Amino acid sequence: MTLDVPVMIKLASYAGAGLCIGLGAIGAALGEGFTAGMANQGLSQKPEQSGDILKNMLVGQAIAESAGIFALVIAILLLFLGAPVTTMLKASALFSAGLCMGLGAIGSGIGSGYPGGHCCLGLARQPAISSRLTTNMLIGSAVCQTPAIFSMVVALMLMFMDFSQMPLWPTWAAFLGAGLSTGLAAIGSGAGGGLAAGASCEGISRNPDTVGQVTTTMLVGQAVSQTPSIFGLLVSFILMFKTFPESTALAASMALLGAGISMGFGGIGPGIGNGMTAEGAVRWISRNIEATGALTRTMLVGQAVSQSTAIYAMVVSLVLIFVV
Amino acid sequence: MEDISKITQFVINLFGLNLVFNVETIIMTWIVMAALIVFAFLASRNIGFLPNPFQVVGEFFVSAFYGLTKDALDEDMAKTYFPLICSLFMFLLLSNWLGILPKLSEPTKDLNTTLGLGIMGFFIAHHAGIKTKGLKKYAKEYCEPMFFMAPLNIIGELAKVVSISFRLYGNILGGAIIILVVSHLIYSLALPPFLMCFFSLFIGTIQAFVFTMLTLVYISVQVK
Repeated sequence: MTLDVPVMIKLASYAGAGLCIGLGAIGAALGEGFTAGMANQGLSQKPEQSGDILKNMLVGQAIAESAGIFALVIAILLLFLGAPVTTMLKASALFSAGLCMGLGAIGSGIGSGYPGGHCCLGLARQPAISSRLTTNMLIGSAVCQTPAIFSMVVALMLMFMDFSQMPLWPTWAAFLGAGLSTGLAAIGSGAGGGLAAGASCEGISRNPDTVGQVTTTMLVGQAVSQTPSIFGLLVSFILMFKTFPESTALAASMALLGAGISMGFGGIGPGIGNGMTAEGAVRWISRNIEATGALTRTMLVGQAVSQSTAIYAMVVSLVLIFVV
Repeated sequence: MEDISKITQFVINLFGLNLVFNVETIIMTWIVMAALIVFAFLASRNIGFLPNPFQVVGEFFVSAFYGLTKDALDEDMAKTYFPLICSLFMFLLLSNWLGILPKLSEPTKDLNTTLGLGIMGFFIAHHAGIKTKGLKKYAKEYCEPMFFMAPLNIIGELAKVVSISFRLYGNILGGAIIILVVSHLIYSLALPPFLMCFFSLFIGTIQAFVFTMLTLVYISVQVK
């Protein structure tokens, strides 16, 4: 058996497809399980609301599933599209696309399970405001999908863009780094955004009059929790679109791969941490509506501090790309 | 699939400087601006006790965003910054919705648009901070908690511009790419209208609101 270019491309797309849907299934399943568990709790508190709760559970699970469906789409594309046989570089791009989408779907899947679950529990507490709760849940879990959408963008760009002019060394490492950067950084942001959305559903069910402020703060909090995944996207774009000088030295390739790994892992913690901050702010705004301004500002300052580690990671990856 | 990365550019060479214009983005931005001006004209032409439909929509925007601005800033500053916040939202909303019309595309799909708006928000927020607190107190905040943290604080402020503009750009571009690829694969049967509803109308509205609220809270963090 010889490992020529067509064989390598096939190998990479099959391995990428497997990793994509395998990793992508983790998050969606966890999120849906959380939603269903909370729905059971709600049902036991208010059995007469079973129809409404069941409907909401299914809607919430359907949204949590969408990250998994993104991964499925990419996996099917990798399996059946039959990428044109160009250069060895395509193999690296296809494998990275699968890896990126698979990792990126984990966080959004877990995250969008939280609002669904808390919405079901909230329905048991306040059956009268089901439409307001459902709207808030839909907005919250749709925003949770943003990191998965970023991963899908990077995956589709890696699959469909024409990279044939670029040198194989060190661009293959840049592509792998691009996939890892967005994919890993999306884990934390997706899960963190979900924490804020869950707290907002809980808060609205406790105090339905606060829906305006709670939804607004939730959106701002989620947006800031997504910042690490945006840094990941930025590093990925630089790695994909910058033309690197050809060099067969291992150090040049490893610097680019390291840039992606640095930003990817560096983004996980700040994403979840920012989500926790937003969760706290949203939860307490619903209990103390007068303090909305102070709580929002404190949330932003706290998030800026916990975000600084993501900024360190970004600085290190930019140094690895441009200086080393 | 080649049109994912295709940009129509128009290059002018002026005194040795290459000025590059993204033609499509500029035309789409002008379309949005023209639509907003026409809307403003229709909404404010016959203001009366029995409002016409345009006045109802206009009043909805004004009252909703005046309330939000007043919550984040105080009454005096809200009068200064409310027109900016309201028109920013209306511009972004129309920009993000423009892609559902055939032959048109979202100007926010171009990083230059979102980065421009992000930099604008950055300067407005810092100008507001210097104006209310004075230069000395403003500069002192960069040296918190220790003076040697100043470079990192400055990078943190610049990262805000990156994050706010890439968030809008990534979402809108992502939606457009997903619609393009899926439509291509299924020969534009049945699915694209639903994808457009989700990505353009729903995500577009949320992201326009998020961008506007973040600009507002960045101003509010600076002035308080």
